[in-house]
Amino acid sequence: MSELAVPGRRSRRLLGARQLGLTIRVAAIAAIAVFALSTPGFLSPLSINALLTAISFVGCVAVGMTFITLTGNIMSLALGATLSASALVFLASLSFGMVPAFLIAALFGTVITAAQGFLVGYFRANPILVSIAALSLLLGGAAFATGGHRIYPGGAGIEFFKARIAGVPVNAIIFFATVIVGQFVMSWTRIGRLMTMVGSNPRAAIAAGIDITATITIAYAIAGACAAIGGMLLAARYGSADMELGAGYDYSAIAAVLVGGTGISGGSGSAWRTFIGVIVIAVLEVVLLLRGFSEQLQYLITGLIVLGVIMLHALGERRQG
Amino acid sequence: MKASARLLLSPAVRPFTIMVGTIAALGLIDRGTGYFFSVGTIFSVMQLFATLGLVALGLGLSMLVREFDLSVAGMMSLAGCIAVLTGGTSPWLGAGLGVGAGVLSGLLQGLIITRLGLSSVGVTLGGLLTLQGLTYVLAGNQTVSYPNMAVALGLNAPIAHLLSVRSAAALAVFMVAALVMTFTHIGRDIIATGSDRRASRIAGLNTDRIVIGVFAASGAASALAGVLLSYSLGAASPAGLSDVLAPAAAAAIVGGVSVVGGRGNALGIAAGVLTLCILRSGLSAIGVPPFVHDLVTGGILLVIAVLDAPDLARHMTAWRFSRAERLAHIFSKESRDGAAT
Repeated sequence: MSELAVPGRRSRRLLGARQLGLTIRVAAIAAIAVFALSTPGFLSPLSINALLTAISFVGCVAVGMTFITLTGNIMSLALGATLSASALVFLASLSFGMVPAFLIAALFGTVITAAQGFLVGYFRANPILVSIAALSLLLGGAAFATGGHRIYPGGAGIEFFKARIAGVPVNAIIFFATVIVGQFVMSWTRIGRLMTMVGSNPRAAIAAGIDITATITIAYAIAGACAAIGGMLLAARYGSADMELGAGYDYSAIAAVLVGGTGISGGSGSAWRTFIGVIVIAVLEVVLLLRGFSEQLQYLITGLIVLGVIMLHALGERRQG
Repeated sequence: MKASARLLLSPAVRPFTIMVGTIAALGLIDRGTGYFFSVGTIFSVMQLFATLGLVALGLGLSMLVREFDLSVAGMMSLAGCIAVLTGGTSPWLGAGLGVGAGVLSGLLQGLIITRLGLSSVGVTLGGLLTLQGLTYVLAGNQTVSYPNMAVALGLNAPIAHLLSVRSAAALAVFMVAALVMTFTHIGRDIIATGSDRRASRIAGLNTDRIVIGVFAASGAASALAGVLLSYSLGAASPAGLSDVLAPAAAAAIVGGVSVVGGRGNALGIAAGVLTLCILRSGLSAIGVPPFVHDLVTGGILLVIAVLDAPDLARHMTAWRFSRAERLAHIFSKESRDGAAT
């Protein structure tokens, strides 16, 4: 079983293309590293800390999105709204204490998103359509529950997320942990292998007797949990939340996933690659800022580079086969 | 009875069934107070239609050929900005440049997708970010105002109390799209490309040209939406239009466009957009809080998602079988028990 689940890209004929792709990737990362390190002020503690904090929010969502892309379901347009809604739940339930609030919000994000995964897995419903429906329902439900008001913490405890451990922001530690756990699930557990297989060829997976409903539901559940974690970090940082909190995070997350080199067609990808993607985009933004580019030029250059990297990856993938 | 229900829910008719059902439901809730069935409601529905409709048409066209144009929101804000910046003295010039930019970016994206054989989600996501960046640069990271207020007033001036120039323009574009898709081979070619691209290519159809054309048309339609919106608001802003994608996709899908390609038409998309706009203005006219609109839209989309899911029929059959089997089991047990006593 585990042999079957290894993506079939090991044939010797393709090694050349594979190495070429790898070379381009390493060269691109090296170029960005040189560009970053030669920028005055990049290595200052202030800028590194800002970078670490900034990547943790979108990073958590991006790791979650990787699971959805990996299982062949392209992307979800509802993860940003899930982030916001989980943040609302987290702040509102802080009156029960920090740890219970954390668990309640994580459970909320998990259940909401797992339900979408069930529809996608069981009925083979279209993932983008399901996510748009979920987005509408989340927006409506949140407006009903909050009356459209901002939510402030119902109790103490968010200071924990603003602290540092050994000089590293807690935000970043939680993000790193998310990446490590995500990568562990993808490459070291049975369910992770099944996700890869379902993503690369759902029909073969069904023929092999794999429960694709359970596999996709679990992938979505993990995605929801990741988005909820991102929401809690963001809520703790701003000290309040509304449904605008996560607006646009879907696009940033899928951009990071694609820049990291996870294929949009499913069946390949890893949390580690997404981590690289998040770092690349964040470093670019910081470097452009430090080099004194105006905000509008930062947007344009980031957009062009993201487009370029996505095209490079897609070309490399196509050549491999 | 069953046959007529099947006809009403068949893919080609369903968008209109949903629209009429929505109007009837809102009419019932309204109970003749006259807030819903009023000229004002129709006017505001058509104003919403003017913006959302064109974007949904563009996105829907891309879905017809089994692609997904994520960049529509970027096209919209870019074209709006270009029009406002260049159309100060001649609104036609601004509109032309704005729509031209939309066509050009659509062509470029279509070329990249077809010539390099890439997935449209990735390319148009990059396109979205790039177009947004370009808009920020052009607008200098701020809201730019349009000096020619006469144009703004003119575009929103009512025609026969029901339409404005803006919504009439959107309707006209839909008419043209519907005519082209019904009476020329282009419509057939688009459906063929979306249904089975490889078969269409083997049959001698230049599918690349169709896909590039569809992306150009999608760019043009969303750009026109952006131009009309920015002119009528008298301002363009690089931020704040990005939440148009989800409603536009929802409208196209309610309008009968299949997410797996090859099914849908312009009139259906128009009905889908109208349904969402009627829900929004109708509910607010009746005085229902806005969140109900989101909940109802989400509910409709969820039902469509499950109804259109390829495995629904398989599960239904399986359920029916297992129920029949259970019943047969119980009956046979009863008859056995009966025989024993």
